[in-house]
Amino acid sequence: MLSSVWLTMALATASGQSEGAAHRDIVIRNAIVMTVTHGNITNGSIYIKDGKIGAVGETVNAPAGATVIDAGGKYLTPGIVDSHSHIALDDDVNEATSPITPHMMMKDAFDYQDKAIYRALAGGVTTSLLLHGSANMIGGQAVVIKHKYGASRDDMLFPNAPRSIKFASGENPKRVYGSRDQLPSTRMGNFAVQREALVQAQDYMSEWDNYNERVKRGDKDATPPRHDLKLDALADVLRGKIMVQIHIYRADEMLTEIAMAKEFGYKIRAFHHALEAYKVADQLAANNIAIATFSDWWGYKQEAWDAIPWNATMAMRKGVRVAIKSDSEDYTRRLNQEAAKTMRYGGATEEEALKMITLNPAWIVGVDDRVGSIDVGKDADLVIWDGYPLSSYGVPEKVLIDGDVYFDRSLPSLGTTHYTEGK
Amino acid sequence: MQPPAISYQLPAKSGFLALLGLTIVFVMGGAVAQDKTLVLRGGKLLTVTHGVIDNGAIVMYGGKITAVGDVSEIHAPAGAQVIDVTGMTIYPGLIDSETQLGLTEISAEEMTNDLVELSDEIMPQMHTAEAFHAESTLIPVARMNGITNAVVAPEGEDTLPGQDSFIQLAGANATEMLLIRDNAMPLNFTGDQRRNKGGFEKRKFPSTRMGLAAQLRQAFLDAQDYKLKWTDYQRKKADAALNKDKDQNKDKKPEPLAPKRDLKSEALLPYLEGKKMIVLAAESPSDLQTAVSLANEFKLKFVLNHISHTQPVLDYVASLKVPVIVGPIYEAPKEDERYDTVYSLPAQLYKRGVKIVFASYSAHNVRNLPDQAGFATAFGLPYDEALKAITINAAEIWGVSDQLGSLDVGKTANVVVANGDPLDVKTDVKRVFIAGREVPMTDRQVRLRDEYSK
Repeated sequence: MLSSVWLTMALATASGQSEGAAHRDIVIRNAIVMTVTHGNITNGSIYIKDGKIGAVGETVNAPAGATVIDAGGKYLTPGIVDSHSHIALDDDVNEATSPITPHMMMKDAFDYQDKAIYRALAGGVTTSLLLHGSANMIGGQAVVIKHKYGASRDDMLFPNAPRSIKFASGENPKRVYGSRDQLPSTRMGNFAVQREALVQAQDYMSEWDNYNERVKRGDKDATPPRHDLKLDALADVLRGKIMVQIHIYRADEMLTEIAMAKEFGYKIRAFHHALEAYKVADQLAANNIAIATFSDWWGYKQEAWDAIPWNATMAMRKGVRVAIKSDSEDYTRRLNQEAAKTMRYGGATEEEALKMITLNPAWIVGVDDRVGSIDVGKDADLVIWDGYPLSSYGVPEKVLIDGDVYFDRSLPSLGTTHYTEGK
Repeated sequence: MQPPAISYQLPAKSGFLALLGLTIVFVMGGAVAQDKTLVLRGGKLLTVTHGVIDNGAIVMYGGKITAVGDVSEIHAPAGAQVIDVTGMTIYPGLIDSETQLGLTEISAEEMTNDLVELSDEIMPQMHTAEAFHAESTLIPVARMNGITNAVVAPEGEDTLPGQDSFIQLAGANATEMLLIRDNAMPLNFTGDQRRNKGGFEKRKFPSTRMGLAAQLRQAFLDAQDYKLKWTDYQRKKADAALNKDKDQNKDKKPEPLAPKRDLKSEALLPYLEGKKMIVLAAESPSDLQTAVSLANEFKLKFVLNHISHTQPVLDYVASLKVPVIVGPIYEAPKEDERYDTVYSLPAQLYKRGVKIVFASYSAHNVRNLPDQAGFATAFGLPYDEALKAITINAAEIWGVSDQLGSLDVGKTANVVVANGDPLDVKTDVKRVFIAGREVPMTDRQVRLRDEYSK
């Protein structure tokens, strides 16, 4: 009986008919609940109301008619948040025609049917930050998605997510433009290009301030400056309205970016890749800059030569907020294993490791008040695991987003009509 | 018709030793032999070939394993160094069946790469052993996670990119580390070998699979012809010598002229004679079947590689009765494949009785080889088979199972001591012994960690 109810519900979700489901009451019980914020609850339960977590504990109060999911004593975690991804953008990751392209909106390239979204979901990922590439010193603005594969494009966008912009540094911009005999072809060039753009934005803001002042004074002759999309975006960076996410490898460049941010009065949300963060972790912590890093990637380019697998834990111990991210269509499918490596390299606790793929990346994305832990009021983005999640063996059995099942291992075609059933 | 074995008649100085295909020199890890008996005592031994010994001991001397058993059965000889490994898990050194170790340092820095020659698709005369950089920074990084042996293969952009080496990840120099030179040769038929990039105007032969197959077939025919020419030459030369002895006064035939050396054909002969293993790579069912037909046409002895998207023909794969280097299982599924179709390939092959091994197909990430084996168990591969796929199965495929791949008396003492399950990402390797000698647990990354932890 239960299973047939479950099947119906699952299939309803699969065909995108989730409107009615949003008001469903669900109880997940008999789970080892890894809350991330307040420890594990063995034999725990979660009450989901209207897609949000209504209660969590050893017992929860729920209406009599609530659908019950028995987790069978398995582990239950918050959905994984990938704070650095380029999936579902087809080949449109980099507008590599100018080193300054802050007016590119990744949402405009978002291919909501890309199966990579489903494959990541099958690995437990429920939220991703889709970033512009690193060809440009200042790239485009990110889009935050929920992995509701099978839903419409707009239903997959994380509602009211804060704006993020991608900055870059180091080898990629200098290689892309240097190979064309253009500026920048050096790290001096990189930073000069960035500074020049920010100065232009300051001038642009002055022009508008000036105009607004004249209007306010009742000056009828005042003519508005041209609306410049590019400079509008940079002005919003300087006003602190867009979070700055910087692709960066070397420690010296991190210090330069910190100085640049101070020079222009904006804040850096996170350094991405940040493979040398362990060398300057104190400065990162002092400036409240998080890192979104790899667990153990190294050596693929010169600026990744000093990467060490202890980077995450060494930075964490100095007070840096650390996320493990994928930057990869492949690794995003098993970020739980990547996080588990921090338990080996530097002895992160289970909760610290889990936080690196849930609450900490949620902070980087700016949605940590809504996802990233199992707390009352947060979105019911949850993963029930076959096996211990922080190991080689843990794989998702069910993944829920906003209380609806989008992945179920027993129904591998869930969420897509394209997968063929069985073998 | 099987051509006569001519190899032995050729002059050694002409470099034809390769033709013998049998001159495998197996140097067991070091000019300086292990002179002290070592005993690891008290750990859980995963022998691979004869089960788990919960409270075991293992003795190493002269680079070999000299005793394995329960602690109660093993007595440390006088003067032996006894290391207490209580609470640890002990297992044989892991074997990675395809890497680019020693062929690269920094992927994006071309001058540090010796991965594959792209000027021609048929390059069997390339020997990875001659590019192998024994001092590579990457080798200690891999070794510290218990990988003690590996196949070094050229990258797969050529049909025949050159010959593999089988290495040990410790040794004073390349000579010591290269256990077997030219142990096998990749034959790639994955489509990546086509020269069809950049539109029609930039294409050159072979730009299609037909072209690749024709080119390969021609190369093998040329090698067969070459062999006949040498056979003929040897025969004429022998005749001439015989006639000379018989009758000094008869009209002398002119001395036969030796054929010109052709290194490509020479390199192919041991494979055409079935003396060495071809590593036959394909991805899709159609490519697989074309590649197998080609291999059968020339009676090649082969193992399969990759076959990541051959799920519809796995019964056919099983019917070939050859081992498979499977993966990487992280390969993305094709558009019409299930999300877990590649993850579950090892289990699907195992179910059909196929012997499987894993490979990292990597240089920097060789250390993560066991993670892949562990992950495959989450998709149905039995644990013991996963462990065998990176130990004894690999040793068997590469012809070294008498020396590597398990904790057995008489085998090379490649032994790993870890704080837990070798297939789990969290497990930390504490000690590594290669040919009975403890490897320093340090690498460039450890040194950087320590420098910045001060």
